[in-house]
Amino acid sequence: MALEHVFSLTVSGVTVGMIYALIALGYTMVYGVLQLINFAHGEVFAVGGYIAASTLIWAGIDDGMPLWVKVAYFALAVLVSVAVTATLGWLIERLAYRPLRGRSRIIPLLSAIGVSIILQNLLIVIFGPEPMIMPTAIVPSGSFELFGARIRVLQVVIIVTSLLLMALLTWIVKGTRMGKAMRATSQDREAAEMMGIETNRTISFTFVMGSALAAVGGFLVAMYYGSLQYDTGFLYGLKSFTAAVLGGIGNIPGAVVGSLVLGLAETWGVGLRLGLLAWLFVAGFGLGLYFQFWRAPRGRVAHIAEEFRTPAYERQLLNVYRLAPYSATKTILSKRTDALVAVSARHAMRLMTGNLFLLGFALLFFANSDVQFSSKWQHVISFSVLMAILMFRPSGILGEHIQEKV
Amino acid sequence: MKTFFSKIADTLRRAPRWIYIALALALALIFPMLESWGLMETLWLRVGTRALVYVLLAVGLNLVLGETGLLHLGYVAFWAIGAYTTAILSSPRTARLLYMVQEHGIGKALTTVTQRTMQIPEELIGFHIGFGWVLLIAVLIAMLFGFILGIPTLRLRGDYLAIVTLAFGEITRITFNNWEPVTNGPGGIPGIMPPNIFGWVVDKPGEFFYLLLIVVVIVVWLLNNLKNSRIGRAWNALREDEIAAHHAGVHSTRVKMLAVVLSAGIAGLAGAIFGYYQQFINPQYFPFMQSTIIVCMVVLGGMGSIPGAIVGAVALDTLPEVIRQTFTKWLPDAFGPDFLPGVQAAVQTDFDRYRMLIFGFVVVLMVVFRPEGLLPNKLWRRETHEVDPREQEQTRQHLFDLEEGHPDLEA
Repeated sequence: MALEHVFSLTVSGVTVGMIYALIALGYTMVYGVLQLINFAHGEVFAVGGYIAASTLIWAGIDDGMPLWVKVAYFALAVLVSVAVTATLGWLIERLAYRPLRGRSRIIPLLSAIGVSIILQNLLIVIFGPEPMIMPTAIVPSGSFELFGARIRVLQVVIIVTSLLLMALLTWIVKGTRMGKAMRATSQDREAAEMMGIETNRTISFTFVMGSALAAVGGFLVAMYYGSLQYDTGFLYGLKSFTAAVLGGIGNIPGAVVGSLVLGLAETWGVGLRLGLLAWLFVAGFGLGLYFQFWRAPRGRVAHIAEEFRTPAYERQLLNVYRLAPYSATKTILSKRTDALVAVSARHAMRLMTGNLFLLGFALLFFANSDVQFSSKWQHVISFSVLMAILMFRPSGILGEHIQEKV
Repeated sequence: MKTFFSKIADTLRRAPRWIYIALALALALIFPMLESWGLMETLWLRVGTRALVYVLLAVGLNLVLGETGLLHLGYVAFWAIGAYTTAILSSPRTARLLYMVQEHGIGKALTTVTQRTMQIPEELIGFHIGFGWVLLIAVLIAMLFGFILGIPTLRLRGDYLAIVTLAFGEITRITFNNWEPVTNGPGGIPGIMPPNIFGWVVDKPGEFFYLLLIVVVIVVWLLNNLKNSRIGRAWNALREDEIAAHHAGVHSTRVKMLAVVLSAGIAGLAGAIFGYYQQFINPQYFPFMQSTIIVCMVVLGGMGSIPGAIVGAVALDTLPEVIRQTFTKWLPDAFGPDFLPGVQAAVQTDFDRYRMLIFGFVVVLMVVFRPEGLLPNKLWRRETHEVDPREQEQTRQHLFDLEEGHPDLEA
C-alpha cells in the first residue's frame, strides 16, 4: 500500500517537475547569456497557456471528434501559442532589456519586474480576472495501472512531450551553429563578439527559444489542472527559478535536475507522513557526508588559484576538507591567517552545518512521524528549499555556468 | 536661450531646501484641519493617512533599493509582520491566546484552533499590550526577520536577493493565511484597540494622520542624518561599485545587512501603526503586488532620494483616487450628470484592472527613459545620464583659465 502510494506520488512529482523544467530552461538560458533574472518569463508561460486554451475554444474543439483530429488541434494550439509567445519574448528583450544593457545591474531587473506586472495585468484586462478554463475535450481522460498505482495518460503525455522538447533543445544547443554561438555568448560575450558572433541575434534567439518552451509548459499545465489563472505565471515562474538555482544557474542539465528535485520535494513533502520523509533527510545526510569526505575535496581544490597550488598546499587543503570540523577549529585556534585555508575551512564548516541541519530535521520528523503536512503548505516547502540551497550550496546541485565578470 | 518656464524651474531649483520642507510640513499640518472645517470629505483624510503609511514604507525601501542598490521584492512581508504583531498583541485575540498559554502551555496554544465561543475568565477580557511596547516588539521582530533573510542572501550575487525576498514575501503571506491558531487564517483579526499614548487615545483618522506625521518626520530626519554619515557613504559606495567599495575597506556584507535590517524595522513600524489605524488585519492586505507598488513609488520618485520617495509614495497612492473622483464626481458636478457617461461607468467598474497596468508601464518607462526618477539624487543623476555638454565645456574653460591665466589679461 505504502509503496504504491509513494510510486504514484513520484509519478506526479516527475510530471510537475517536467513542467517546471520547461520553464526553468528559459530562466537558466537567459541567465547564462545575460546574467539577468527574466522576471517576465513566468508571465510568458501563463500567456502561452491562455493563448493555447483560447485557440482551442476559438477553433471549437468538441468531445465527439476522433483522436487524430484532436491531435491535430493539439498541434495547432501548440503552434499558435509558441508563435505568439516567441514574438512576445523577442519583443520584451528588444524593448525592455536591450536599451538597458550595460547599465547597473538593478536597472534591468526593475524593468523585468515592470514587464511582468504589465503582462499579468494585460491578461486580466484582455481575458478577465476569472480563470481560463481549458476545454476538457483536449485532455486525455484515460488512466492505467502500473505497479498498483493509478497513472493518468495525461501524465505520460506531459512527461513524453517534455522529454522530446528537452532532446530538441539539447540538439539545438549542442549540435547547431546557433547553439554554439549561444554557448560562446554565455561564456564570454565580448570575446564571442570579437570572434564574429552576432551576440544580439544570439540573445534574441535565446529569448525566443525560452519563451517557446515556456508556452508549451503553460499549455501542459492548463491541461493538467484544467484551468489557468492570471497569477499562475507568477507562482510557477518563481518556483521554476528556484529549480534553476537549485540545479545551478546557467547550467542546462542542472535546470532539469533541479526541477525534478523540486517537483518531488513538493509532492512528497505534502503527500507523505513525516516518518517517511525523515528517511529522505537521513539519505541526504549520508550523501552529504560521502560527497564532503570522499568525492568533493579533489574537485574543490582544483578551483583554487594557480599560484597557490604547490603540492604541499594541496595536501594541506585536502586535509582541511577531509577532517572539516576538526581542522576548522584547529585553524581558528592556531590563528593561522592563511586566507585560503581559512576560506576553505569556513566552507567546510558551512557544509557540515548543512549536514547537522539535515540530521536535526530527520530527528524532528522521526519524533512526529504520524503528522502530515497539509497541501496548503506546498509553496512554503518549495521556497524553503530555495532558502536552504542558497544557505548551504549557493552554486546549486550541478554547479553554475556563468561568466564571472564584474 | 532661456524660456520663461526654464527660468522659473531654475529659480525653483535654486530655492533653499528648508523652504520646501517648511511648505510640505505646513501643508501636512493644515491637511486634517480642512476636514474638521468642512472643506474636505473624510475620504480624503483616509487617503492622506494611508499615503503617510506608504511614505514610511517608501522611505524605508529607499534605504535598500535606492541607497544600497539591492532589489528587495518582499518588503510587504515586514509590513505584514508589523501589522500582525499589533493585531495579535492588542486585540481580543490577545486574551484568548494568553488564556490558552496559561491553560495548555505554549505549544498547544500555537497549534490548536480555538472556537469562537471559547470562554475566557473575566479578568483577562480586554487584556492587551500598550502602544509603546507593541511598536518596540513589532520593530524588533521585523528586524529579526530581516536579519534571518539577510544571512543566506547578502553574501551572494545581488539578484538572488530579489528572488529570495520575493519568496520570503510569499511565505510570510501564506503563513499568516494558514496559521489559524494564531492569526485566524484568511478571516483575519478584527477589533484592534485604539492606541493610548499617555492618555491620548488615537481613534479618529485626523489623529492618526498627526501620529503618522510625527513618526514620518522622526524617521525621515534620522534617515537623512544616516544618509550623510559614514554608513550612508558606505551604502552609496556599494551601490556604485561593490568590488571597489570592498577594496576601499567597506565590509560589504555587514553594511548591507545594516541597511536590510533597518529598512525591515521601518516597515515593521509602519505595519504596527497601520494595524492600529485599520483596526482589522487579514492576509489580503499584503499581496506581492503591494511590494511592487512600493518599488514603483521609489523608482518614480528617484532611487536614493528621500524627497523623491516621499513624493513618489504620495503621488502613486493618491493618483488613482484622484482619477476616480475626477471622472465620477468632479467632472459630472461641473458639467452636469450626463458628462461622458461611458467614461464614468468604465472608471467606476474597470479602473482597478488598469491601475496596476499603468504602474507597470510607469516602471518600465521610467527605467528606460529617466532612471534617476522625478526628484533625482545628484549622484544617481550623474551616474545615469551623460554630462550636459555645455556644463562640460564650462568646466573645461574654467580649468583652462586656472592653468593658463586669464586670456583677457594677456592680450
